[in-house]
Amino acid sequence: MNVWLWGATALLLGLVPCGWLALRASRVDALVALQTAGTVVTLVLLLLAEGFNRAAYTGVALILAFVSFVGILVIARFMGRHV
Amino acid sequence: MSAHDLALDVLVGAAVAGELLCCIGLVVMRDVYDRLHYAMAASAVPPLLVAAAVLVEEDWTQPSINALVIAVALFLVNPVAAHATARAAGSRRG
Repeated sequence: MNVWLWGATALLLGLVPCGWLALRASRVDALVALQTAGTVVTLVLLLLAEGFNRAAYTGVALILAFVSFVGILVIARFMGRHV
Repeated sequence: MSAHDLALDVLVGAAVAGELLCCIGLVVMRDVYDRLHYAMAASAVPPLLVAAAVLVEEDWTQPSINALVIAVALFLVNPVAAHATARAAGSRRG
């Protein structure tokens, strides 16, 4: 275990509050939780790529950052229409 | 422990601590707009700290440039997503 893998493991704990909020709060609050979870997972993938010394894996984190953004926009648009 | 290792530990530790604090702030806050503040903080500072840590470790190579692109992308695009979320919240409230 190195500092990157410790960091990734600790960062995964951040998904617990996000999941709790997504399950218990309103749908708009769940969208905020999803947005934060996307950021957390992006950083976890980045730390794992560095921890396992695989430079190519950072591309996965890069793609997730953009896909997460597009997903949030689509869901927010859908929520705005269906009040 | 060398200065290099110490810098890595501090940067990664600060990033993880900041991100976890923002996640806890999401649960503690009661309003969706207050929660958006924490969501934005989570996407602004910790990614830059992680990118700085990767830069310290790898110098200017592909992984560090990817990490910087990710940090800048999160910094720039997440406010747009927050704006869309706030609009959705506003329309749901009427």
